Amino acid sequence: MMKYIGILAAFAVVASSQWLNYPTAGIPRTKDGKPNLSAPAPKLADGKPDLSGVWMADGQTYFFDLAAGLKPEDVTMLPWAQDLQKKRIENEHGEDPLGRCLPHGVPRVNTNGLFPFKIIQTPGLVVILYEQLNLFRQIFMDGRKLASDLNPTWLGYSTGRWDGDTLVIETSGLNGKAWLDTQKSRPATDAMHVTERFRRKDFGTLEVVATIDDSKTYAKPWTTTTQKMFLQLNTEIMEFICNENEKDIPHMVVK
Amino acid sequence: MMTMKMWPAALLATVVSAQWISYPTPGIPRTRDGKPNLAAPAPKMPDGRPDLSGLWEPASGGSLAPVAGATSTDPQFRDIALNVKGGLPFQPWAAELVKARRADENKDDPDGHCQPLGLVKMHLHPYPRKMIQVPGLLLILFERDTNYRQIFTDGRPLPEDPQPSYNGYSIGKWDGDTLVVQSIGFKDGLWLDVSGTPLTDAAKVTERFRRPSFGKLEIEVTIDDPKAYTKPWSITVNQTIALDTDMLEFVCKENEKDVPHLVGK
Repeated sequence: MMKYIGILAAFAVVASSQWLNYPTAGIPRTKDGKPNLSAPAPKLADGKPDLSGVWMADGQTYFFDLAAGLKPEDVTMLPWAQDLQKKRIENEHGEDPLGRCLPHGVPRVNTNGLFPFKIIQTPGLVVILYEQLNLFRQIFMDGRKLASDLNPTWLGYSTGRWDGDTLVIETSGLNGKAWLDTQKSRPATDAMHVTERFRRKDFGTLEVVATIDDSKTYAKPWTTTTQKMFLQLNTEIMEFICNENEKDIPHMVVK
Repeated sequence: MMTMKMWPAALLATVVSAQWISYPTPGIPRTRDGKPNLAAPAPKMPDGRPDLSGLWEPASGGSLAPVAGATSTDPQFRDIALNVKGGLPFQPWAAELVKARRADENKDDPDGHCQPLGLVKMHLHPYPRKMIQVPGLLLILFERDTNYRQIFTDGRPLPEDPQPSYNGYSIGKWDGDTLVVQSIGFKDGLWLDVSGTPLTDAAKVTERFRRPSFGKLEIEVTIDDPKAYTKPWSITVNQTIALDTDMLEFVCKENEKDVPHLVGK
């Protein structure tokens, strides 16, 4: 099961020890000089929260099971999807595209607590750089609408807007190939629309809630419990090339 | 053989871009008749520095808006030495290596194996790249295999022993209207072009970014790599702005069928 995850984790630990540590600018401090992670979230000139920073999911809870903390009846999978999920688990997850160096899809891309991601917020555009697989997402904040016939992609096409202090990201145009999670191997289709709500609760904490709306796969839309992401200070994301010297795939034998 | 490697990728872009969304680029200067005025001055940041932000592609050989007389890729993408007077000052082993790579039909070109191109070759790749300039950071997002580069402009020094990588570790400082970017920390054995011109882990690369007008970006790249070359040498990359469009998602590894055919001689 943990075939590829273990290998990737080993790589990250070895390599990060040689990476440059450079102090993060603008950290609020307590009286004794320590970073005050419970200080209020910083704001941009327009009064909106600034989500910029290097973040990482708190563990791999949602990477393994996107529905962690929900009741079984909250996530009602259609019969074909139940069959596919069962088959994937019986096959020891050997067909997971992520194990073949293909992108995670949305919202799984936020969930792996072994790899940080970096948010860069500019007027009109929020960019998220992910260390794992060297992926990036563009979240268009310029008021454009999602088009009806998007080119299907692994990470979709995303627009964002503010709902008070929460950044609400709408994504469609997904290709339906990505798995929603790892141990649970939940499927999704190209009909999926994902809504992610990013809220910087305080200086050090980002809360993410995702809603999966895919009527081809699930009887009704469902929403994750609150995923916590923590700010990573004095460090950076690294270059990550999954496909370099890749040796796992021949061993991922499907039963 | 060299050209064939590029084909599957080129084909993909042509097919899918027809379905991609077009959205007007904001802030385009216009001539009196309403057309984009590409010769207008470069925009400035609040701190008075030029703003390099925009979607860019090689002036001779981009995939989005081919200009009249353009080739399918910038010729320097194939042979980076094309405009270097007297050719490259190779160390003997490096000259031999290029010869051997050419004799073997460049079958080990990392590009053909879905590996990253490294920062020099990336400037010449036909697919678009987006530059995003914010205080303290110049970010370059590349369509080709969703790669990205961070150029730190927050005054930090270069690290002493960076983790070797395809893109290296980059810092930038302004010299008048030119952003001077220095990079070190490369993986050994990178290719600078399709012909196999090498870059070693001893290399220091200096890029001088200049936006002489709204529509033009000039990047002078100097390679200082004493392991492979007897002296530093430079090339110039010209890029033009691409308007009212955006990058696509490009995943080289997906359904990849070329590698078994890259057998050399």
